Amino acid sequence: MSVIEACKLQKRVQTTNGELEILRGVDMSVAAAEAVAIVGPSGSGKSTLLALLAGLDSASDGEVSLLGEPLHQLDEDARAAVRAGRVGFVFQSFQLLPGLTALENVMLPLELASRSEARELAAKQLDAVGLGDREHHLPAQLSGGEQQRVAIARAFVTAPQVLFADEPTGNLDQATGETIVELMFRLRSEQQCSLVLVTHDSALAARCDRAVTMNDGVLQ
Amino acid sequence: MMATAWSLALRQLRRDIRLSEYIVVFCALVLAVAALTSVGFFANRVERAMVSQASTLLAADLVALANNPLPDEVADEAARRQISSAQLIEFPSVVLNGDGDTALVSVKAVSGDYPLRGELLLTDELYGSAREVKGPPASGRVWIDSRLPGTIPVEAGQTLSLGEISVEAEAFVSYEPDRAGDVFQMAPRVMMSSEDLERAGLLGEGSRARYRMLFAGDETAINGFADWLADKPEWNLRVQTPEEGRPAVRSALVNARRFLGLAAALAVLLSGAAVALAARQIAERDMDTSSLLRTFGASRALVLRIVAMRLMVLALLAGLVGSVLGYLAQFGLSAMLARWFATDLPQPSLLPLIGGFACSIIAMAGFCLPSVVRAADAPVVRVLRRDLPPNQASLKVLIGCGLLALTLLLVWLTRDLLVAVLLVLGVVTVFALLSGVSRGLVALASRPAGERWRRLLSGIKRRPGSVTLQIAAFGVGLLALLLLAIVRADVLNTWQRQIPPDAPNFFLVNIQPDEVDSVQSFFGERDISFRSLHPLVRGRLEQINDTPVAELDFEGKRNEWTVRRDFNLSFAADARDDNPIVDGQWWDPDTEEALLSLEHDFADELGVEIGDVLHFRVADALVAGRISNLRQVEWESFSANFFVVGTPAAFANSPASYITSVNVPDDHGGFVRELVSRFPAVTVLEVGSILERVTGIMNRAAAAVQYVFLFTVFAGILVLIAAVLASRRERFREAAILRTLGASRRYLRGTLGREFAVIGLLSGVLAATVAAVIGWIIVEYVMELSYQFNPWLWLVGVATGLICIWTAGMLVTRPVLDQSPLDVLRNQV
Repeated sequence: MSVIEACKLQKRVQTTNGELEILRGVDMSVAAAEAVAIVGPSGSGKSTLLALLAGLDSASDGEVSLLGEPLHQLDEDARAAVRAGRVGFVFQSFQLLPGLTALENVMLPLELASRSEARELAAKQLDAVGLGDREHHLPAQLSGGEQQRVAIARAFVTAPQVLFADEPTGNLDQATGETIVELMFRLRSEQQCSLVLVTHDSALAARCDRAVTMNDGVLQ
Repeated sequence: MMATAWSLALRQLRRDIRLSEYIVVFCALVLAVAALTSVGFFANRVERAMVSQASTLLAADLVALANNPLPDEVADEAARRQISSAQLIEFPSVVLNGDGDTALVSVKAVSGDYPLRGELLLTDELYGSAREVKGPPASGRVWIDSRLPGTIPVEAGQTLSLGEISVEAEAFVSYEPDRAGDVFQMAPRVMMSSEDLERAGLLGEGSRARYRMLFAGDETAINGFADWLADKPEWNLRVQTPEEGRPAVRSALVNARRFLGLAAALAVLLSGAAVALAARQIAERDMDTSSLLRTFGASRALVLRIVAMRLMVLALLAGLVGSVLGYLAQFGLSAMLARWFATDLPQPSLLPLIGGFACSIIAMAGFCLPSVVRAADAPVVRVLRRDLPPNQASLKVLIGCGLLALTLLLVWLTRDLLVAVLLVLGVVTVFALLSGVSRGLVALASRPAGERWRRLLSGIKRRPGSVTLQIAAFGVGLLALLLLAIVRADVLNTWQRQIPPDAPNFFLVNIQPDEVDSVQSFFGERDISFRSLHPLVRGRLEQINDTPVAELDFEGKRNEWTVRRDFNLSFAADARDDNPIVDGQWWDPDTEEALLSLEHDFADELGVEIGDVLHFRVADALVAGRISNLRQVEWESFSANFFVVGTPAAFANSPASYITSVNVPDDHGGFVRELVSRFPAVTVLEVGSILERVTGIMNRAAAAVQYVFLFTVFAGILVLIAAVLASRRERFREAAILRTLGASRRYLRGTLGREFAVIGLLSGVLAATVAAVIGWIIVEYVMELSYQFNPWLWLVGVATGLICIWTAGMLVTRPVLDQSPLDVLRNQV
């Protein structure tokens, strides 16, 4: 059964040089617990596709459903409600809130999904990523690898059904990157969640169940 | 979900408050609130003190006047409310000295602790040193006007006959507080104890006595008592408060209030500018947070709620801290003011506290919330694409909200819609001017002009928007400083110049028509300048058009009383230069028509206009005249002025005496003695002491205003610093990149220095120009006086702009030069 289903997805934007077609009718489906890598050159539309699949943006045309919900029919708030507590994210630039501690950053999705015991669950998850002793550190006081581990703890703390990852190792050195990938795949495997991963790294893509290549707005 | 919102808002605020932009907003709000509340508390106390000073010209906080004895119930009610009272009865009478010489006098029978406010000064010998007394003379003794010896020979200690009793002239009255405005009470004063009244048998049937009861107490009690009196129309009393007591004093109070409000308004205005500057940075930072929260499933409403909660908690905190600071600061102000106020300032009311919190919330809502809320609505996809342009609020919305907040605050502060609107217009004009000039400079910098110009303007060229904003902010700050430092002084001077040093210090009244020529020669012999001798006719208004005054329904007691009293009327063939005609036309000097000219406010109070006919009872005859023009009168000038002036033909058959006012240098009473001995019937009223009192009140108000403005100056300096801080992050990044590319610290310092110098110069020139225009508008149109442009404004404006902005800029951006480029680029300060 598919957790993500995209049909003839198109994305066009207006630029000073006229209309630019970023996605030209993409069809894609991701099964439950399946890991799919989207690879391709810079500017091919990988991140745009990820944004549409996650409901972070709306398509110009075509249909997309996430966890059975037709995202193309929903407004911004309804799409956010679909994500709340069921979808996790890992970003290239970590995207931790600088004003919140590591623990508070991990608590954030639990609180937004109105889960009880947010503090205990978040502490447990931080422990699981090896940062139990850094709960009260601010992001600026953590290294890049540690920040990404906090981001992974935040992504998995709600036990999401789908995880979206956008170049998760892009800002890290190779050794740290490998540790992060290990951690991410271990947790994914424990929680049996689907993964949509955008990456340039072919080795990383090879760890997924399958890889699709994006080129000039078309999946090949 | 509400609990989540609160928890997230407070958690974020706890950390965010350490960020420079939040510190700027917090400090700006604290400063605005502190300025507003300290100014509020201070102004509140000063205003109350001024009312109390003005009370000295009334000898009380409240006076009830009647033509008949006041019911005992009035005194009883006052006592019940713990209000002290004193009764005065005034009437004309005649005294005789031992030689049988007689003089018409104005007797004042006094009881209680008269005067309840102000001081009654006596001298034991004529023009000797004064001592203050309270209460009436002892039974069997009287205090006499120092003018009485000019009428009949009398010395201290001599016995006088007053009615059926003999009294001893114990001392001379040198200053009587509540006589200040009654300059037309011509007969010399004799003050006696009311205990002797009955024995003297002076108040027979038909005596023209005026009864006054004076009251003094705390403000709440007095207000309550005034309301109680107002509910007793059957007693036909007229209640007089210090503010409406004397036109000159009232005018001084109104002006002082305007200045105090203006001072506080400027502090608020500057803080608003600082908040608006910092709001942009808060908005930029919030965009990422909001996108992330929405990525994790937060609704738009929740995100906006979190933003609003965070900002409002910050505003309340600033309101609290600012109010405490403001309350503490007013103690310092009061201590400083002790030198000017002989009496202790009264305790302030709590109203400024409410104003402080309201100011903080309104400023936050108007200057910060719109940009931050708009940013919070940023596209969610920003979490993946940081290169998306920031979600900025529409300029129209930002300006609209800011102006609305500003107008609300200013109207509340100045209690004057016109002044508030003018201030807001001033701000808009400054921003428009500065934006225009800055844009022009950017265009200039883009041209392939000389290398030196290109380098000078390079900073401006790199970030035109930010520089425009900075020039505008600096301009507002400088404008405020200039308004305070120069325009304030100009305006205050103009205001004080209303009472010129050669203002008349003597009124000569009761000059008989056959004495006019000799009085004029008397002045001529002594080289005393005087304007002219004005005829004076006493009359009572009986009828307006065909309707008797008794049948007319006037709005409010004040109008009714105004109409029913005796008027000092005059007549003249020619128009006076100091009484400009505001409506209609002055008459032909030879006209045979009975025409009238009315003071325009008085015409408004009567509800009459040109063409209406007024009928006055003058002696036993009725005099009717048609209103042909309305005049403007400057009551503060202390010249003899009249509500109603007629054509000579109108009052041809009316009995008239003449009145004039002169300025005579202090000659220890020589002038008075000489004049009175030569013209015994002429009454001389010394207005010098009245003038001193009124000028004293004005000077104290001016001193208070200067202290209030001191706070605003600090606010102005803070805004200058805040504006530099607002662009610091941008400068940090730029400097880091330049240094990475090999720029030396000297090069960077030079670039920054040139940029701040150009910004300072531009801000200075434009702020000076706008300050001059605002000063001109305030003086010409609000205060209706004549303003003189001050060339120092531009010199000081440019010098202050250059020095302050360059210094503040270089100080605040020093860390830009000291920080390692790597740290800056890594931390994105």
